[in-house]
Amino acid sequence: MFKNEEMEINLGPQHPSTHGVLRVKLRLDGETIKHCRPMIGYLHRGVEKICENKTYFQGQIWTDRMDYCSAIANNLGWAEANEKLFGITVPRRAQYIRTMLNEFNRLASHLVWLATHALDIGAMTVFLYTFREREDILDINEAFCGSRLTTTALRIGGLREDLPPGFEKMVQKFLAKFPACLEEYENLLSENRIWKKRTVGVAKLNAEDAIALGVTGPMLRAAGVPYDIRKAFPYAAYAEMDFEIPTRTEADTYARYLVRLAEMRQSARIIQQCMDGMPEGPVMAKVPKILKAEVNEVYHATEAPKGEIGYYLVGEKGNPNPYRFHVRAPGFINLQSLPKMVEGSLLADIVAAIGTLDIVLGEIDR
Amino acid sequence: MPTPTLTQSVLIAILQAILVVVFIFVIVPLTLFAERKVLGYLQQRLGATRIAGTLTGLSGFLNRNMWKMGKIPMLSYWRGIPMLVGDVLKMILKEDILPTKADKFVFFIAPAISFVASVVVFAAISFVPGTLFTLPQWVPVIGGLPVAGAVGDVNVGLLWILGIASVGVYGIVLAGWASNSKYPLLGGLRSGAQIVSYEVPLTLSLLAPVVMSGSLQFSELSRSMAVGLPIWGIVPQFFGFFIYLTCGFAETNRMPFDMPEAENELVAGFHTEYSGMKFGFFYLAEYINMTVVAAIASAFFLGGPWLLPFGLQGLFNHFLSPHLPALLVTFLCEPHAIFFVGKIILLLFVYIWVRGTIPRYRYDQVMAVAWKYFIPLTLVNLMLAALVRYFAV
Repeated sequence: MFKNEEMEINLGPQHPSTHGVLRVKLRLDGETIKHCRPMIGYLHRGVEKICENKTYFQGQIWTDRMDYCSAIANNLGWAEANEKLFGITVPRRAQYIRTMLNEFNRLASHLVWLATHALDIGAMTVFLYTFREREDILDINEAFCGSRLTTTALRIGGLREDLPPGFEKMVQKFLAKFPACLEEYENLLSENRIWKKRTVGVAKLNAEDAIALGVTGPMLRAAGVPYDIRKAFPYAAYAEMDFEIPTRTEADTYARYLVRLAEMRQSARIIQQCMDGMPEGPVMAKVPKILKAEVNEVYHATEAPKGEIGYYLVGEKGNPNPYRFHVRAPGFINLQSLPKMVEGSLLADIVAAIGTLDIVLGEIDR
Repeated sequence: MPTPTLTQSVLIAILQAILVVVFIFVIVPLTLFAERKVLGYLQQRLGATRIAGTLTGLSGFLNRNMWKMGKIPMLSYWRGIPMLVGDVLKMILKEDILPTKADKFVFFIAPAISFVASVVVFAAISFVPGTLFTLPQWVPVIGGLPVAGAVGDVNVGLLWILGIASVGVYGIVLAGWASNSKYPLLGGLRSGAQIVSYEVPLTLSLLAPVVMSGSLQFSELSRSMAVGLPIWGIVPQFFGFFIYLTCGFAETNRMPFDMPEAENELVAGFHTEYSGMKFGFFYLAEYINMTVVAAIASAFFLGGPWLLPFGLQGLFNHFLSPHLPALLVTFLCEPHAIFFVGKIILLLFVYIWVRGTIPRYRYDQVMAVAWKYFIPLTLVNLMLAALVRYFAV
């Protein structure tokens, strides 16, 4: 008369906690997840194809709009890939400013992650606290280049303009108050029993699986693998910076939380070093008005806040547009690990898992 | 004082019922408003300010100038009060959608069950022992008669409260079932299990005051826990109070136990498919339940309608009252409904405060807390209360 059935349920694409338009198909046995498949493509705009029909200069604005929480990190990868392709050397001052902006961007992205992750687990106040600090970072973006979110702050060959007057004061003001703000978040969460119950041991992904799935960024470092492109293959001015790669070995949601918080501290350190050691000089290299590649291909990876973002560019002789453009988006590849992390755990854990993945659907669907 | 006739009794009962309903419909919107404002304050923002455009006139002038000076104007804290009316209007006027595959009768009756159960509980809650006020002589038919502090201060008041309150869970489970949709079903099931689980430690934690006072009548319980002891009930019954309040959070589906409607997991839980005033009834029921839980806690653990704990009152009577005006002494030493309501409001603030501070438990953890910790603790607490009773009396 009665039969047991697994319930199939759609988490998303319109759902409060999937960070945009992710759809996750779940099969539940009671509240236990038996089967989980993330379905993507709801925000697909064809960024890669569009960029193949734009010049190298025009393509850059599309990279802003992939991971819109870390536009500068995306810009940096794109600019450096092009510089590699055309053999352009960027002035040292521009490298420093790029490094600094990139770290500000990492802070902003991690703050959004903390906000949404905590909100998903139910700690709603953290959301507004982190957005308060993020607002300051966006103000700094605005002071530098006039826009706040999709900044297009960098240029192939350097920067469009030097730092504006009063910029250093803004940065110092931010750096002076930021450690206290981090402490405030930690006071609310780190030793909170409920927060720990919801995150410790939840959505585990050990190093072996993480490497097999191609997971990078804080997710990998929380599993004990100290792989950070800033150290492994230094770019911009990272070779001259003194910073640490925070790692944990627990490989769970709580470890990722701690790793990201530690990374924020390191970012603040790097920004301080950039400000202190800022060299004088021009900020733009000599770049021709139209870039035309010889047949050449280049892959350049940088450490975006979410992991390794790689740009693969193929130039064509006599063509002002790239022949082929592909992005290795960290969110896309990290998302693969979702079934591995949540299958067998409870429905509420998938919310924590999606939060800890730190995905932005604009980047995953491109 | 004349004995009231049957007609007069009925009329007074109706008057009392109206007063209680008025109380509910005043305190619930105010809680809603306070929730927005207090959360806003906790989160360094202003909360609801959009309605009540005080940007013109004198207050507007002050507001604008304070903004310019870089200060948050005090008046901004009060803007948004008409939003209370807006909320109610919105719920009444919105389209009432009936899902085609829903079980129509059950879908219709579920919010009514929740709402009625939460309102009817108030019948046994005594705002003040004895007379609330005496009607003036000019009132027709019932002039000059006293109005009691409770609609029905029956001798099994606490049983009535717990019994009726547990009927409310049917509304939630039935709503989840009748919606014929997956998220509400999960929400309804979670809620059913959660409320049934927390009913046990909640009742056990209330049994301790019952044992200590030896009565089930609300006013008598309240009196003995407030002035029968040298101090408020919260001191000898600290664990009881803590567990009761926590279970109250769980019973009313509030953070950190808002499993049934865990927004980030289950969209809106059992009322996902509800709209318009049907949703409004669930919404109201939640806030009325909060008020009920706060009322019980305030009566049994925080001294109810008395301002001063008994010990202090004795000292006060002895040393100070001869030198103070009689009105002030009455105010400080006699029970007053206003103190009772004040304590309710204080506890409602605690609800909001907690909501703004801590994250949400996971469903299985919620159940583990109830069965593994609260029930054994309440049993120990009950035993302690029995020992106190045995040796003290």
